[in-house]
Amino acid sequence: MTGSEVDIIIFAPLAPIFGVLLFWFIQLLFIESQKYLLSKIWDKHKPLFRFTNFLGIFFQTVCHALGYTVTKSGISTFYISVNYGKVAPKKEKKGIFEWLSNSFLFIGPFFIPSSLLLICLFFLITNDFDISPAVNYTFAEGMINFGTNLHVFSESFFSFLISIDLLHPVHLGFLLLLIFLGMGIRPSYIGEEKQEKIDMIYDLKNIKSHILSKPLYLIILFLFAYVFFYVSLLFKQSWYVAIFSILGWLSIIAIIALVITQVILLLIKITDEIPSPWKLIVYLNIPVSYVLIRLLFHFFPIKFSNVFSLFLTIISTIFIVFLLLKYKTNKFKTKTDMKQLKKVKEVPHEPRRIIKK
Amino acid sequence: MSQDELLKNEQIEKILSPHPLSFMKLQSLCIFLMVWGVLIGWLVNFSGFKGLFITNEWFPILVWGLVLLIVGIVASLLTIRWSIFFLYLGVFAGGLGLILWQGWNDISSVFIPFYSLGISILGFLIVEGYRRSHKYIISNFRIVFKGGIITKEERTLRYDKITDINSKQGILGQIFGFGTIIPISQSGFGLGADSSFAAGGVQVGEKKVKLLGIFGGGREVQTPRTRSYYELHGVHPYKEVKNIVEKLVQGNVLTQYQQEQVEVQKEQVDVQKEQIDIQKQMRDLLKKQPETKKEKKTEEEQ
Repeated sequence: MTGSEVDIIIFAPLAPIFGVLLFWFIQLLFIESQKYLLSKIWDKHKPLFRFTNFLGIFFQTVCHALGYTVTKSGISTFYISVNYGKVAPKKEKKGIFEWLSNSFLFIGPFFIPSSLLLICLFFLITNDFDISPAVNYTFAEGMINFGTNLHVFSESFFSFLISIDLLHPVHLGFLLLLIFLGMGIRPSYIGEEKQEKIDMIYDLKNIKSHILSKPLYLIILFLFAYVFFYVSLLFKQSWYVAIFSILGWLSIIAIIALVITQVILLLIKITDEIPSPWKLIVYLNIPVSYVLIRLLFHFFPIKFSNVFSLFLTIISTIFIVFLLLKYKTNKFKTKTDMKQLKKVKEVPHEPRRIIKK
Repeated sequence: MSQDELLKNEQIEKILSPHPLSFMKLQSLCIFLMVWGVLIGWLVNFSGFKGLFITNEWFPILVWGLVLLIVGIVASLLTIRWSIFFLYLGVFAGGLGLILWQGWNDISSVFIPFYSLGISILGFLIVEGYRRSHKYIISNFRIVFKGGIITKEERTLRYDKITDINSKQGILGQIFGFGTIIPISQSGFGLGADSSFAAGGVQVGEKKVKLLGIFGGGREVQTPRTRSYYELHGVHPYKEVKNIVEKLVQGNVLTQYQQEQVEVQKEQVDVQKEQIDIQKQMRDLLKKQPETKKEKKTEEEQ
């Protein structure tokens, strides 16, 4: 314990809160980028867009219903469709209960679906959910502990992901769940038509106005956090950082889910440029090449066969996409006759630049 | 629909068939069979539970069949369709029969996944064939429903006979833009019944007194339901088809407002007739007037 008294009493409890906020903000940025990608393929893939909408609304509605259940308001109406979801409470509760149930609606979709995956991960990854037992007294120590917890988790989570066995039904199920989660983490509504003003700023404004609508509750929440921090210190335990570390893990899961989803969306966007019968090769290559490589490694076993299988599948898919783009489209501009430019130069009165009308 | 089948002045508005995913209830039976077959193959050959299945060669067949039948019973109870249970029973009996006949019990761990896959692919093909047998023709006079693989079913429904239109769209339908439209006729064709029954038994005493009581109750609710070849099953694009049908029904059936309008028009025609009669009388009177004037003049001159 080397920090000043002000640091220990005032600033130290804030360290993991800042950490969670930072990861949550990164998550928001990824959500925004996913929405951008979705809007780019919206015209050609309306069913996919409706499906992602449904997942997003499903998560929102479930979180809202969970809010009413936790606050013991009960649920009288529960309705989900592709572009609309509604949950109505049995009893209209005011004050802290209403604020809490709304908090579930606004913040729940960021964390609750990922917590489902975290539970699955507990069964899939063994012995790697260690939480640093070190007690933090200062802001810096809090940040270090929080970072260490996240690092340990990320390491085991990434090593699981890169060595995932897609022929294992449970692993395959987990990957599908991860993709569905990535498609559904979208708290703001997009609807059937694209709406420009509903974006990350819109979400943040909603959350800000919700939190600031009842400043007293926020102060009480902070007081609880401080009291919990002091109690943890008193018993010389790392409970306080552990709680926030779990929120950080949830953010990491959500970010990874978003990254995987964006890779899939990007693949869809790129293959849209390939003519129809040929683009099927890309999608068929993924399972076929994976199974073939796994069979090869089954008969000629090597170390890290799962990692290599996944890596070679990805490489072969990229290679096939590249070949198809080169020979079946004019994406790389190799089919344009470059000599045409000379003709433009020969005519003196021709404009050098083509101005788009 | 050939030209000979068309009525006089009849024009075809749309020819439709169900969306490939609209028979998902039937397809899901095949999907389950496929997934369970692959899963049992993995469990027996590759998983950590491999050792359990090696002890007895009949054990994989037993587990496979038991799960298949339990799922069949649960699905049958949920959908109130015992055909699902009997279908899975048939699949299990077929597999067991093949194993016993060919003596494949020692290779059951390989046979079961391939057999399940084969049967599910066959199931998919049958469902697809059944889907393709459906054809719905919407003309300006009527809707013609056709369907059936072996027995060809056909229903013709005139728009003026439609009393009610029920439409439904599941989640898959909302995503892919298809839905089911059930036109209910005046005779109630297109309506089904949901019935439920509760029963319980009580046995008191083991040796001396045996009392058995059964308490039951039944309830029936009329609901729009019919065979897929008597309704516009899983049609795409749902909203457009629904609008066309609604407009054609409205165009062929007089609404209350339209009936009132016709009555008002009839009254107006009667009034106009009366006015014409009065005008005639007036004309006759006017014609008579100059004659009387002439008569008066002659009288004065005389």
